[in-house]
Amino acid sequence: MAILVNDKTKVLVQGITGKEGSKVALQMKNYGTKVLAGVTPGKGGQEVHGVPVYNTIAEALDSHPGINTSLISVPNFAVFGAMQEAIAAQIPLINVFTEHVPIADTAKAIAMAKKAGVRIVGPSSMGIISPGIGKVGQIGGEDPRGVFSKGNVGVISKSGGMSSEVSWILTKNGIGQSTVIGIGGDILEGSTFTDMMEEFEKDEQTKSVVIFGEIGGTYEEEAAEMIKSGRFTKKVVAFISGLFAESLPQGTKLGHAGAIVYGDKGSYKSKINSLTEAGVTIAKTPDEIPDLLTM
Amino acid sequence: MLLYEFEGKKLFKSCGIEIPNSQLIEPPDEEIKIKAPLVLKAQVLSGKRADSGGIVVVDDESKLKVSVLALLGSSVNGEKVEKILVEEMVEIDKEYYLSFSYSTENRGPVMSFGEGGTGAEGKEIKIYPVDILEGYKGENVSDSLKETAKKLWEVFIKYDCELAEINPLVVTKDGKIMALDAKVILDDDANFRREEKFPERNLFGRPPTEAEIEARKIDEGDHRGTSGSVYWDLDGDIAVIAAGGGGSVVCMDALIAYGGKPANYTEHSGNPPREKLKKLTEIVLAKQGLKGCWFVGGTANFTDIYETLMGFVEGLREVKFKGPIVIRRSGPNDKKAFDELKIIGEKEGFDFHIFGRETPMTATAKTIVDLAYGKEEK
Repeated sequence: MAILVNDKTKVLVQGITGKEGSKVALQMKNYGTKVLAGVTPGKGGQEVHGVPVYNTIAEALDSHPGINTSLISVPNFAVFGAMQEAIAAQIPLINVFTEHVPIADTAKAIAMAKKAGVRIVGPSSMGIISPGIGKVGQIGGEDPRGVFSKGNVGVISKSGGMSSEVSWILTKNGIGQSTVIGIGGDILEGSTFTDMMEEFEKDEQTKSVVIFGEIGGTYEEEAAEMIKSGRFTKKVVAFISGLFAESLPQGTKLGHAGAIVYGDKGSYKSKINSLTEAGVTIAKTPDEIPDLLTM
Repeated sequence: MLLYEFEGKKLFKSCGIEIPNSQLIEPPDEEIKIKAPLVLKAQVLSGKRADSGGIVVVDDESKLKVSVLALLGSSVNGEKVEKILVEEMVEIDKEYYLSFSYSTENRGPVMSFGEGGTGAEGKEIKIYPVDILEGYKGENVSDSLKETAKKLWEVFIKYDCELAEINPLVVTKDGKIMALDAKVILDDDANFRREEKFPERNLFGRPPTEAEIEARKIDEGDHRGTSGSVYWDLDGDIAVIAAGGGGSVVCMDALIAYGGKPANYTEHSGNPPREKLKKLTEIVLAKQGLKGCWFVGGTANFTDIYETLMGFVEGLREVKFKGPIVIRRSGPNDKKAFDELKIIGEKEGFDFHIFGRETPMTATAKTIVDLAYGKEEK
């Protein structure tokens, strides 16, 4: 059955007339995902790759009440407004592709989404793909077929590039994926490892899960806690990156805003220790993952 | 961006938080208007200044000149002292810790408040989640500190901070509530809506290198992908051009694990045009004493491998790099890129070692280490 993205997924693209927005709309259509509408204020009435464009989400929903997923691909300064509109419209799944969203905007949107009972995946999310069924976002690019294959391993990754690399390593070794999610590498994320694990736990198709984590924050430690408490019972293999970053002066920013350590909190050691204690198998390189999964 | 104490205090003051009378001095001969007893505070970014000689108490006017001269020339935790904040001495009755920051556990802002003891270690700090939609209204601190805490929340939100910290927050013997120190980290992603601008920091205890400044310029005003906006010069001898915010760090971990010494950290991601990669390549390879170059990335979702690698080649031609070059990439147009690279390598004499998606990304770390240092040296 996979999680989040299935054959009932019907997508709205916020920012569809932009360069990235129009590209991703076409990619999703080509992969068999139903893209029902797009929204760009002031551009209502146009069409992008055969997808009708509306000025507001309310207008789009009037004509396409079946929309249940929104992909946000607008510039960072406009992301908060876009999230607010999607939350107010009660769209159950909101996937934010845009990077460099101010942390205060993300925090507010997370609080609003919680109240409204809708789910945000992102910001800085490469997207969600259920191989063979459909995808939301840029994950897998124009042709995900060679890299992703259908199967029963769930993948949750803070890095978009590594979600594809890990899936390719699995596919190359004859291991397919149920759903692959790029949750994003910001400090605050709408959905974290544990949120996705909760869904994977319920999903019959998923037999085991791969986590790609990195230093900073507490999402990996929370995953370990969830496993320890028995709320997640499937096999987990994890890869954690960022030892290098810890050799730099504290506060040095690399590509992911969340990959930053102050004091001991969120350090490589803390993550490896808590995951190991929870019985998670740690891969030393991504290429070990297939063997560790089948062990 | 981490702010200096004097910059943080300016933000505090603008929201009505009381700070001691102070004067920022740069040239050593500047006239000091604050009267002794006073405190000289080195303006450096590292913490624990007091333990490293960065805080000097001057009791007597006659010792002021010599103390200023000594501190301005010194270095604190490896960072050269270029500015001093001169502050009036304050008589402390009680001290507290107070900060607002974001917590991944609560996925929102938290207030941290601590009392008792001196220094951060002595205080028992408690953490309270704050509802960002309601705003902070003075809860969870003692009554006398409510107003200051509300003002600090105002700083935190108004200036888009990741951290706004007062340590110590003091009640003086004459009953005033004052911020004696300021630690503020601004959210760089909110720069577009913050009017206050601050100059580049010396994060590594040194001014940014020419290469760092040049690399960061590549992305300025050009939002097509990123290339060089994250660039740090390191001490090693293997030039690295890595792809992706997550994958780049995985590659650096692998390179170091195999004994490689990176000359730099940099990444490109999204879909940068070839001229951006050309510029980045020229900057990365301008260094002296490089033993090899590693152009590496995982399986790209939408980065055009042909465009980025052709940009790399154009840069190589400019700097005429003749050391071993290990390339590992996968993604859109990779085969087309590899075919052309093979021809270019033979024709123009570049020592290319090209790997596609069948070879693990991290395995090529060993390849570049072996080629750069010679197998026997490894």
